[in-house]
Amino acid sequence: MKIKQANIATRRAFSERMLEYGAIDKNFVVFEADIGYSTYSHLFGDAYPERYFNMGIAESNAMAAAAGMAAGGRTVIACSYGVFITMRAVEAIRTFICYPNLNVKFLSSHGGVTPAIDGVTHQATEDIGIMTTLPHMKVLAPADTESAKKMFDIAIKTPGPVFVRLMRDPLFDIYDKTEYFELGGSKLLQKGKDITIVTYGDMVFQSLEAAKELKKENIFTEIIDMYSIKPFDKNSLLESINKTQALLVVEDHQKRNGLGYELSNYCLKNKPVIFDNLGLDDTFAESGNYYKVIEKYGISKSHIINKAKELISMKGK
Amino acid sequence: MNKNTQELHQRIQFLKEKSKEVRIHIIDMIYQACSGHPGGALSAADIMTALYFDILNIDPNHPDWPDRDRFILSKGHACPVWYACLSLRGYFSKEELKTLRKCESILQGHPDMKKTPGVDMTTGSLGQGLSLGVGMALEGKLIKKKYHIFVILGDGEIDEGQIWEAAASASKYKLDNLIAIIDKNRLQMDGFTDNIMPMGSIRKKFEAFNWHTMEINGHDMKEILLHLEKAKKLKYKPTCIVANTVKGKGVSYMENIRKWHGKAPSQQEYEIAIKEIKNKKYEN
Repeated sequence: MKIKQANIATRRAFSERMLEYGAIDKNFVVFEADIGYSTYSHLFGDAYPERYFNMGIAESNAMAAAAGMAAGGRTVIACSYGVFITMRAVEAIRTFICYPNLNVKFLSSHGGVTPAIDGVTHQATEDIGIMTTLPHMKVLAPADTESAKKMFDIAIKTPGPVFVRLMRDPLFDIYDKTEYFELGGSKLLQKGKDITIVTYGDMVFQSLEAAKELKKENIFTEIIDMYSIKPFDKNSLLESINKTQALLVVEDHQKRNGLGYELSNYCLKNKPVIFDNLGLDDTFAESGNYYKVIEKYGISKSHIINKAKELISMKGK
Repeated sequence: MNKNTQELHQRIQFLKEKSKEVRIHIIDMIYQACSGHPGGALSAADIMTALYFDILNIDPNHPDWPDRDRFILSKGHACPVWYACLSLRGYFSKEELKTLRKCESILQGHPDMKKTPGVDMTTGSLGQGLSLGVGMALEGKLIKKKYHIFVILGDGEIDEGQIWEAAASASKYKLDNLIAIIDKNRLQMDGFTDNIMPMGSIRKKFEAFNWHTMEINGHDMKEILLHLEKAKKLKYKPTCIVANTVKGKGVSYMENIRKWHGKAPSQQEYEIAIKEIKNKKYEN
């Protein structure tokens, strides 16, 4: 695994794949809510204007209209920011897309605090909790360019609604073009015996950085990129925690109702181990430099290092 | 009377008789379920009868026929009127009507496209049906089909801002395959619309969004028929028909009374209602 600075954000990678796929599959259409130059859905709109519907700054109408179009079986990709998709338009999504299980896929940009600079209004830090709660909804969160492209393919091939959480800025590339991703899958990025870190999205990089530091102190971390959040890869999780007996979930999301809550619930029922989770601790973040924001709000590399050590010290007590 | 006038007269007489059957089923269904919304179902009964027994291009033997006209009941709580029409048209047996709102029933408390044959779209959350219709109309345009999408809305649910988002988008895409009918019975759950949230002229609002508009008596079968036929021929813009109606129409003690928005009749009330409808104490 070779980590390098990304050239493009995952929102753009997803939209570039959507454009490519538009030539392969002539049937799907795209709905946008006036941020097409930010979600990069305009790439598709420029190439296929007759298959691109810009519904203006009116997300609830856009999502309900997407449902109306999907009611006859058509696949719709609906694009906006996470805060607007998962909160402004959530009822239209719940009642008219999830309830009848229609083929609407969500390009949801600005996940977590990745739009740190924009402030709280644009930071989707509750999106995973809201979307995973909806029956029929599947939830994916790619960490980099290649995985974002593959998530487009998974979303369009998976029947029913699929939510894909994307990020505002180019961060880091981890995967090469040959990597395979699937619904319900995960990636074991690093093997280790002392603790399992399960993470997704931008926190994958922070976790890998933390693991490097921990290794210097002879602490060996197992890292799983749980890019498929719903459904999640139970087998890989169990295999890992059976070995390490300690689990730390790291996510750019509220601690409450995130993947950490989901996995702690699962572990309590199936395999109780030493556990904790990092995320926003029942608080909103603030506007600022992304790296300063994740440091201040407890989800950066340094916090992961400290928490991992703390959990390992509790083992066997 | 020339041949055309005679033919129209016969259609109207047929629909008037049919609307009685529809109303009887509405009352019967809600009485059996001990729950439901009679007021708004009765106000829409004549329009729904005209749609399902004359206007809509549908085939009950093939509910999924790709070329069919689509219908969306945005005011989903009025679904007993829809279920009555669907059953009388043969989408499912009349026995099913007795199962309204019960476990395992194909007739949910609010319409469910996955459970009920003939229901093209799930509804029940107010203010959303016009958006759903916009999506269906865009689909019709995309695949160049000639079918129409009819949406019945309540005059209470237009309080919702999303209605006006939908109105703008239908206008933007020149959806002349979309026909919205406002069942303007002047009552919403908590009282008269003019007191709860005065919306002014609905017709002028849709006109301002660049829709074709019409205003009719929603219980006059001739007016209903002629305007629906006209609406199907209008081009380049969506059409809004404001239908002036009476909530609870056809049952004297329910007419214009707020509490009959969502209440089942007692046995005595049930018997009076059925008798009144059978004896047709109202004009349409």
